[in-house]
Amino acid sequence: MPIHFDAVSFTYPGTQTGVSGVDLMVEDGELVALIGPSGSGKSTCLKLLAGFFRPDHGRINVDGHDVDTLSPERRKLGMVFQNYALFPHMSTRDNVAYPLKVRGAARADRRRTADDMLERVGLSGLGDRATKTLSGGQQQRVALARALVFEPRALLLDEPLSALDAGLRVAMRDEIRRVQRDAGIATIHVTHDQEEALSIADRVAVMSDGKIVQVGRPDEVYDRPRTRFVARFVGQANFWPGTVCGPYEVDTPIGRLSHLQEGSRPGDKALVLVRPERLDLYFEDCKTPPPNYFKGRVSQDRFLGSIRRFDFAVEGTVIRVETRDRAAPMAVAIPPDAVRLLPPGDNE
Amino acid sequence: MSDGRTALTPPGVRVAFAAPGVVVLLLFFALPLSVIVIEAVSEGGSAFGRLFQDPVFWKGLQGTLVLGTVAPLVSVAVGMAVAMHLSRLDQATRTGLLFVISLPLTFSGLIVAYGFILVFGRAGFVTLLLAEFGADPAVVGGLIFSPAGLGIAYTYYLIPRVVLVVLPVLINFDTAQIAAARSLGAGVLRAYLDVLLPQIFPSLLAAFCLTSAVAIGAYGTALALVGTQVNILPLMLYSKISETGSDFPAAAALSVVLMGICCVVISLAEIATRRTRPATTAPATK
Repeated sequence: MPIHFDAVSFTYPGTQTGVSGVDLMVEDGELVALIGPSGSGKSTCLKLLAGFFRPDHGRINVDGHDVDTLSPERRKLGMVFQNYALFPHMSTRDNVAYPLKVRGAARADRRRTADDMLERVGLSGLGDRATKTLSGGQQQRVALARALVFEPRALLLDEPLSALDAGLRVAMRDEIRRVQRDAGIATIHVTHDQEEALSIADRVAVMSDGKIVQVGRPDEVYDRPRTRFVARFVGQANFWPGTVCGPYEVDTPIGRLSHLQEGSRPGDKALVLVRPERLDLYFEDCKTPPPNYFKGRVSQDRFLGSIRRFDFAVEGTVIRVETRDRAAPMAVAIPPDAVRLLPPGDNE
Repeated sequence: MSDGRTALTPPGVRVAFAAPGVVVLLLFFALPLSVIVIEAVSEGGSAFGRLFQDPVFWKGLQGTLVLGTVAPLVSVAVGMAVAMHLSRLDQATRTGLLFVISLPLTFSGLIVAYGFILVFGRAGFVTLLLAEFGADPAVVGGLIFSPAGLGIAYTYYLIPRVVLVVLPVLINFDTAQIAAARSLGAGVLRAYLDVLLPQIFPSLLAAFCLTSAVAIGAYGTALALVGTQVNILPLMLYSKISETGSDFPAAAALSVVLMGICCVVISLAEIATRRTRPATTAPATK
């Protein structure tokens, strides 16, 4: 069932922090990742939706109904907490069955439904175990099972993977995605890990200072960020200040770049963005150089396993480049479609 | 780990460290205790017979058990509320308040009693204040000299003990569990009853038993407040060895009974906390 944040604002009492003017629509079955640095307000959005705080302004709708007057227990939203918040005095099965118990389900029904749910998250047979004896990934699955067992109207994930080590985190991403697809409910996933967000979400909402600065498909947000902040938050980037000097041309400290972006007029200031993996590498000098061709040398080389990230020194500045090639290039070219012009004002 | 430590520490050193404690324990605990036990059974145990035939003893036992149940119950209820509030404060405020709360523990029972007389006695501040509003000073002022008043005075230094026992458990409690329970459909009260209470129950029980043992054994406050008007075992013991007392074997027998009650109560606390401990913490330390 769809979730709708309508111009929601909230300030923590006695502070300046909170969220302001948050508009967000999450469709049924859709997974939206809320990302942003700590303190950007993403967890606050989740707490407002869950009912732990009430918005100062604006409304939150679930399935077309205003939920702001409902206490958390009456919202029917399944939530997975950062450290899972499993009940240590209950067995794994009793944890999963707890939402059914408070709803007055019969003991035998609770047990059967909880065991079914444990099977869905790949934990069949572990129902009698104490939750403390489970591994981090297993505890994560218990929390997910518990949040879904009562067929909630939506699923809320608050940094669900941050307590796991890197390898497990990647595996659990797919697991969450699979279980969420299975359940087919609107899901908001809060994380500060941009890779996690891009890989798991149908859409990504980037937050900064209590506001949503951009919402879009992961590839949209990555390829066409609206601001420098978004560009930096969702990946590595080269930035140069630029001045538009003609149709499809911009002057930058590394030289004149041609680009394909519409809508700029000569004399406009712009911030030029180029993703480091978009550059073409040349290992010998090109007789007929392509557009945006720069000769130079590798000044710093970082081997990261699957890729190499190096700084390519050209006149007066460096270009950050990512490549699978092991050899050092003597020139690089920026394809015109890889050049993005952003508004210049955003200089954080 | 323990193997490594014993291998590194020469046995002589360990004996030297343990010796002062052992000496103190022997001199000031084991020795007086054995003397009392020997005294109590000196006439072939007839002292117990005399004690158990004395209706005053049974009345005193009843009074002691009522006091040892009601005062701790009230203290646990109040102390838990205080501890819950403290657990939500920041570290600095909490430390400051904890200092104030623990202060009564350093006072002798006599000081507490005089303080209560000055505030709630027949010419006490609160009594006279309430008299202004029409309350009879004789009734209000008489309250603290009754068994109920004694119970109230006891809670004064039992509540800090409850706070000290329960607070660490509450501080370590992950409040996200309450949030989780609520998002899963439990109301506020239900969430606390289902999630918090079972996890802190062992420490509440331990606090109850500890304060109960203190209430059962205390006599300074009682003596100063009610003299020997209220019949409880510690005051009975006091009168046996001070004023008119000549039956020392019976006094010794009474001491043994009193000690026995306290030991039972403390053991109950130990059993209760130990039974629940492995289920919650043992796997984590594995």
